[in-house]
Amino acid sequence: MNEISVGIILLLGALFILIASIGLIRFKDILSRMHATTKATSFGILLLLIAVSLYFGTYIVTLKSILIIIFVYLTAPLAAHSVAKSFIDNNNKTD
Amino acid sequence: MDNYFDILVYSSMMVLIISLILAFIRLIKGPSISDRVVSLDLIASIIMGMILVYTILIKDAIYVDIVIVISLISFIGTVAISTYLKQKMVEK
Amino acid sequence: MKYLKKPYYIVLFMFYYITKLIQSNIVIAFDILTPKMHIKPGFIWLPLETKSKLGLLLLSNLISMTPGTLSIDYDDNKNSLLVHVLYNQENVINDLRAIQKRILKLIA
Repeated sequence: MNEISVGIILLLGALFILIASIGLIRFKDILSRMHATTKATSFGILLLLIAVSLYFGTYIVTLKSILIIIFVYLTAPLAAHSVAKSFIDNNNKTD
Repeated sequence: MDNYFDILVYSSMMVLIISLILAFIRLIKGPSISDRVVSLDLIASIIMGMILVYTILIKDAIYVDIVIVISLISFIGTVAISTYLKQKMVEK
Repeated sequence: MKYLKKPYYIVLFMFYYITKLIQSNIVIAFDILTPKMHIKPGFIWLPLETKSKLGLLLLSNLISMTPGTLSIDYDDNKNSLLVHVLYNQENVINDLRAIQKRILKLIA
């Protein structure tokens, strides 16, 4: 039973990453695409790391997972901000 | 019981491969260079996910360290490329 | 009493952050998976009430994670933040003001 729930969380995380890449294909302009990638991708990585740390269940894997989660959630908005700012400065359309 | 778990792990690997193909389509097609930077960032995240699924597949926790390194390098790479683009714009 | 109040606000803020996170992912997944797109992108200037670095970091980080908003630029002279929104409606700016009030209570 425990293994099945780990597998379901794993599949859910992979599906969120798939949603991010479908959004990258479907949205019309780049700032909307960035909405899809910066939210759904970090949530998918979060679910995959939860699945890995539930599966192994040792202290060191859980500690590494928490470190990766904190790092991803601190840097994903920063990377999106940096790309968006360079795009805005190049194209100069802020309404 | 064990069989269902294997099916779930292999199908999540399949889903990640499909999303890698979609991200590559945007990387080739993308009209501006910022699209390509965004899709490279997404590809780094997909590879992190593939390594995590592979860690469960071979039942060995040693590959979690690679995910730390990829997350650091992907962030630094994205910021470096966008800073370079901004710098080039200022010089022009 | 003051030292007791701060961890309480921090725990409350973490729960708020997690609920916003799950809500934003459901919203964006629904919008991507349904065939008809109902987005209307636009820009909003959000005037800030604080000048502290930590508040600015927390605010722009949370704005990027809430449904349909992405912080783009910070103007030093006007002391305001440029936000890209997916659903351009009237009540978006009120939501952003509510988030800012919550962060001001946290860092004060």
